[in-house]
This record gives sequence, C-alpha cells and structure tokens, in this order.
Amino acid sequence: MGEPRTPLEPPSPEQAAFLERAMTQYGKATYNFAYRLTGNESDARDLSQDAFIRVYRAWRSFQPGTSFLSWIYRIVTNLYRDELRRRKGRFQEEIPEDNAPQEFSGQRPLAVTPIEDYVDRQLGEPLSRALAQLSSDQRQVVVLADIEEYSYQEIAEIMGCSIGTVRSRLHRARALLRRLVERARTQQER
Amino acid sequence: MNEHLSTERIIDFVHGELSPADDALAHAHLAACSDCREAYEIEALLSEALRSAAKAEELEMPSLVTAAVWDRIRQAKPSSASRLAAWLRPAYAIPVAAALLVGGFFASPLAHRAGPTIDATYYLEAHAAQAAQTPLSERSSSLVLETSMIANPTSSAFVDASADGLATTGAIDDVR
Repeated sequence: MGEPRTPLEPPSPEQAAFLERAMTQYGKATYNFAYRLTGNESDARDLSQDAFIRVYRAWRSFQPGTSFLSWIYRIVTNLYRDELRRRKGRFQEEIPEDNAPQEFSGQRPLAVTPIEDYVDRQLGEPLSRALAQLSSDQRQVVVLADIEEYSYQEIAEIMGCSIGTVRSRLHRARALLRRLVERARTQQER
Repeated sequence: MNEHLSTERIIDFVHGELSPADDALAHAHLAACSDCREAYEIEALLSEALRSAAKAEELEMPSLVTAAVWDRIRQAKPSSASRLAAWLRPAYAIPVAAALLVGGFFASPLAHRAGPTIDATYYLEAHAAQAAQTPLSERSSSLVLETSMIANPTSSAFVDASADGLATTGAIDDVR
C-alpha cells in the first residue's frame, strides 16, 4: 500500500522490542481501524502492515507519555490518504467530497422513523454498508468520533485538520448516515 | 430557552463538545422540549449503533501481517551511511581517534624535536678535553693515562705494566 519500498535498516534490540510491543498491544485496534477505513480485509492487511513498518522506521519520533493509539491512528490515516491519492483515477468514489453541495440543510430531519427502529437488530448491517458509502474523510471522522470516541480536538490532531473541519465533516457524515440507513431499511421492508 | 436545538448542536452535545455553558443550556432545553429530545435520542442511538456494529464485527489482526512485517525487517541490510554512523559511535570512534592521534604524533616532525645530534668525533674530543681538566675523577684518570701513553709510549709505567701482562691495572696503580 502506501509505505515506500525504501530499504529498511536492521533493528537495534530496543527498536525490535518497541515494534514487538506495538504489534502485540495495538495490532488488533490498528487492524480494526484499518478495516473500517478500507472496508475490506485485504486492504486492511496491507494498511496495517505498512503502518507497523512506519512505526518501525519512526519509532524514535514517538513521544513517551502520549497516546500510542492516537499516534498509530495518525500513521494509518496518513498512509490511507496517500494510498487513496495514488489510486485516484483508477477508482472513483461514489460519494461526493465534503465540499460538494449536499441535501443536508442543517435542520433536523423532517421525517424520522420511530426511535425503536434504530435499535433494531437489523441496523448493524445497513449501518456498515452506509459507512462504506461515505467519503473517506467522512468515514474517518465517524470512526474516530463514534467508534473510537475521540474528541474533536484529538481527531483534528490525528487527521491533521482543524476542529471546524472535523465538526463539519461529522455533521455531514451523520446526515448521510441517517439517510442511507433509512433507505436501506425501506428497501429491506419492500 | 424556547429556540429548538439544531441538529449540529445536538450532534455536538452527543459528543460532549459543547462549552459548559452551552451544554447546560442544551440540557435544560432537552428536558423541556420533546421534539428536540426525540432528535437527540436518534443521534445518540446512531452513535450507539455505530459502536455496537463495530464491536460485533471486531476482527483479530491476522498473524500473517505480523509475519510479513518481521519478514521485511529480516531482509534489512545496513546502508553505507549507517555503517559509517556505526563507526562514528563513541565506542568505536574514541579508540580509533586516540590511535590516530598517537600515530600522527610519532609520524610528525613534532616527535623529532628531541635536540641536536652529537657525532662521535665531537663526543670523543669534548669528553677528552673535559677529562683533562678534571684529572681527579676516576674515569677521567684512565683517559688521561691513555692519552699520556699515546703521547709517550716509552714511559716506565707502560713498560712495567706490559711486562707482567696487566697493562691497564698496573698503569692505573702506578698513577695512583
């Protein structure tokens, strides 16, 4: 995926121990994060592998006392963004980018299904599908805000953007999610 | 507060991102307004559903990811820059620098500034002259003797000494 194939240096014992610990403790979280961003296991494997190679290369730049998970999520986010840039042209995203005009008006949705429907056991699958249909930036914000429960400030640091951008991406993403979930539900009912 | 909460405000409220003052206002409004409360519950449930959906399909990182990472690292070879850097580490650099410094000193003209050389003729002449001036010194006496013997080979001391084969001893005794 994104990690360049420049030669690696053989590890020092500390560096090998750092990587070992990183993969043991954070491998699962990293892989799941990568899976939610990419939406498939093959890309998630490549992305996780590249992320840990980057951890290995840049291990000295990790500041002890700060969150390792935030650090590796930032690495994953950057690698994923690079990869999407590389793939652009080969794959066109179906969902418009953040700046494209959308139907969302900033008002509460006019028609909402009864609240109980949202806790329906069937919601999981349409929600996962809906998540896959968001733009990559929107998906990252939703994953970080709602699944990983990071603050807007932390998400801004991980994604390298402003808090305002995080906020607007989240608002748009959630409006789309609501719509996509509702659409999925009505199609199911037919 | 009669004004309804916008969806954005509700989303920020759900995520705990309002300022304490705004948070308190939103809280008070939600307690009083059923429309906004319904909208809030939808947003809260959406977050909840996202979390539980993610949890339901949580995956283990395949072991082949870890294996592939280590595999790439095992293939790593030190670059020429890192080999140079390794040689510049203090453990290597200090002894090497010290050896070069010592070697350099002995190779340089500095090491040969130990004074003028004395050639053998000068030494002999100067020494003989000095000895002549201090005849009471033991070492100088023999030299004086030798010098005098060369000067006068027919002296009695020389003849006597050579007769009993103890030239040097006899000559010295004789002088004493």
